[in-house]
Order: sequence, then C-alpha cells, then structure tokens
Amino acid sequence: MDFYRPASLAEAVSLLAQHEDARCLAGGATLVAMLNANLVAPSALISLADLRELSGISALPDGSIKIGAMTRHAETACSTLLRGGQRVLSAAAQKIANAPVRNMGTIGGSLAFADPAADYLPALTVLDASIELASPAVNRVITIAEHVTDWYTTALQPDEIITGVIVPPAPDQAVGVFEKLERTAGDFAIASVALILATGKSKCKAARIAVGACAPGPVRRREAEAFIEGSNFEEAAIQECGRVLAQACDPVDDVRATAEYRRLVVPRLVAKTIARGRAMLGE
Amino acid sequence: MSAKQIVTLKINGRAREIRAEPTTTLLTVLRDELTLTGSKRGCNQGVCGACTVLIDDRPVRSCLSLAMNLTDRTITTIENLAERQEFAPLQRAMLEYGAVQCGFCTSGVLVSAFSLLRRTPHPSADEARAALSGNLCRCSGYVKIIEAVCHAHDEARS
Repeated sequence: MDFYRPASLAEAVSLLAQHEDARCLAGGATLVAMLNANLVAPSALISLADLRELSGISALPDGSIKIGAMTRHAETACSTLLRGGQRVLSAAAQKIANAPVRNMGTIGGSLAFADPAADYLPALTVLDASIELASPAVNRVITIAEHVTDWYTTALQPDEIITGVIVPPAPDQAVGVFEKLERTAGDFAIASVALILATGKSKCKAARIAVGACAPGPVRRREAEAFIEGSNFEEAAIQECGRVLAQACDPVDDVRATAEYRRLVVPRLVAKTIARGRAMLGE
Repeated sequence: MSAKQIVTLKINGRAREIRAEPTTTLLTVLRDELTLTGSKRGCNQGVCGACTVLIDDRPVRSCLSLAMNLTDRTITTIENLAERQEFAPLQRAMLEYGAVQCGFCTSGVLVSAFSLLRRTPHPSADEARAALSGNLCRCSGYVKIIEAVCHAHDEARS
C-alpha cells in the first residue's frame, strides 16, 4: 500500500484515477477505524489533508452556503454562517459522536461513506443540498436525493472526490431542528428526524421533514409534508404525516433496534420534532 | 505489507523520527515505538476515548490518526500534560474526589478534561458531561469524574 499527500485537487483526482481501489483519507474517523478492523484493504491511501481549498465554510453571492468537503464537524456545528432553517445542519453536526471525533471527521468523509444512520444525510435532505464532485474528466454537481443509491452505496464514481456541499437558503423565518433517538449520547441514531419549519399566524407555511437511519438513505415524502403545510398543526395532521413517513421507511434489525421498533417510533419522533420546531418559533 | 518509512513527528515538543507504514496509527507509534504508554489502546475504533491526545491543542483519537498524515502537526500526550503546572489542579481534584478506579480510561479523561478546562475553567456538570461524552469509564458511573472536573479550579481547593 502507498500513502500519498497530494498538494492540489488536480493531483489528488489524478492519483485516484491511477490507483484502482485507492481510498481518499479525509478525517479518518471511519476509514481508519475500518483499516484497524481489517474491513478494508485499499491499494493506496490518498490524504486530502493538504488541500486547503477543500476546508472551510463560506457564503456564496446567491445566499447559499458552501461547506468544503474537508470541513470538520466541529466547525460546521458552530458556524454562524448557517442561519434560520440552515441551522438544522449545525444541529446535526453537534449530535455527531463526541468532541474528539467532531474535531476529526469531515462532511465529505461522512457523505462518501453514507452510513444510513449518519446525522448529516436527513439534514442535507430537508435543505435540498447538493454535492460537488471532481474527477479527472469532469466536475459535476448532484443533488442530495441522487447521492445515496442503496445501503452504504452512493452515486460517487471510483475516480470522483467530493469537494464540497452547497446549502441553499432555507425558507424565510424558518427554524431548523434535528432530533436524534440514540441509545447513549454520541451513538449512531436508532432513528433521526430533520425538520425545517416556518409558520405565519399559527398556520404552517413551510414544512420539510426527513427521517434518518430507517432506510438506505434519508426518507422524505412531499405527501407527508402536505399534511402539515397549511395546517394549524392539528393532531390528526401530525399523525398522518408520521404515518406516511413510517410507511415509506425500509428499516432493518440491527444492534441498535429492531425494524419493528423503528417503524413504531418514527411517527412519535416526527411529532416530537414538530413540537420542538413550534416551540422554537415561539408558538 | 508495505515497507516502513521514516517520518518525523513533533511529539511533546520534540521532533521524533519514527518508522511507519501507511496504516500505522499515532497510537501504535506512541505505545509501541516510543513507549509513551499513557495513551491506552481500548477499542482501536475511536469509540472508547482511552487513546485521546491533543493534536494542535484539540482533543482527537490517536487510534484514528495515521502517523504519515501528521508530519506537520503538533502532538501532545498525557505524559507532557503531566509535567505542566496548569495540569496539577485537575490531577489533585481527580485524587481528592476519588475519580480513578482501574485507571484505564483516566489518561483519556484527563486529556479531554484538560482541553475543556482551558476554555472553561469552571464548567457546569452538563458542560463537563458533554466534553467527556467520548470517554467511556466502565468502573465509576462518572459521578466522581464529573465532580472532579467541575471543581478542579475551585478557589477553596487551590
């Protein structure tokens, strides 16, 4: 195995194209754990540590926020550039693992691995975020909905590197909420709910809801959100929203919970998240 | 397996030449090459926190850090903290509150707590719990550890 520390993105994508079964090393929080457990044996490690252009959070002219792929969870968790509904992303970052892991792990690494229970995925889904990819041939942008294609499988091609995430502006006057059901603080989620919520005159103006850890990728359904948007948050509407989302889930039994438990808990977690969002809006 | 390469790491204020393969972790370097055995190998998966060290003054997992990726970073281990005056109040508090049982988690706990106390000398119990949530202790139930960290810089004690 070879270890490379390319000095530019062009060099990094070229190395990745040259080495079949090479892996990019971002923060190491997942890849090194897998190396330690002999779960992966890449032909080469390509460290992205020296690619400064992949680090940091910046505001774009159209009001979107760009998060470089090498940005650590700790920085995303406390960024003041993420505002209103975009705070769902910083809230998710704050719930990842624990402080030392948040000092290491990166948003690009998390997306590349695409653990179904990873906290960023549902948050980026309600934000309608997109992912920037670079390869020797072409740079492209995919939507978050296109990214996860199956369990632990993404649309990333073998010669592509995630370079950044684009978070568009959230609806006006919205709040972002991330609710995570976990066995113990810092564990992967049993189930999670990301929510962007805006209200006016106690009616719901906008609701975007995604469920994490209950399918290969985040579960979001417009028909579930339609029960909430325009409603006065009647109990029946919230229940129907949760029911549609739970039905759309495809959970599995694992060490954290059974599939049946996840189906039962999703509507309650959705209701709890909406209640928290309304409280944050001062209702 | 790949051949070992010589790399230089800055550890506890000294440049140390070590031999590493691409997959050699900082924890392996510390314990097996440099006999800095204060950092413990618990899970080797980044979960238990017993291997926590400071890199550029931030707590990270040495078991998830590859040596070859750290040539331009500043690494500080528990052995170095133990020689610092500013570390003594935390050490004393851990003793006085009986916050050590088997001791396996203790060095990782101390590194995390030291980092917290630098930013927040008088943390609340919730702040201490949050800062230590990545350090597993299977003996104590955490109560005494949290008390020790919260009261490390109490005036009555110092």
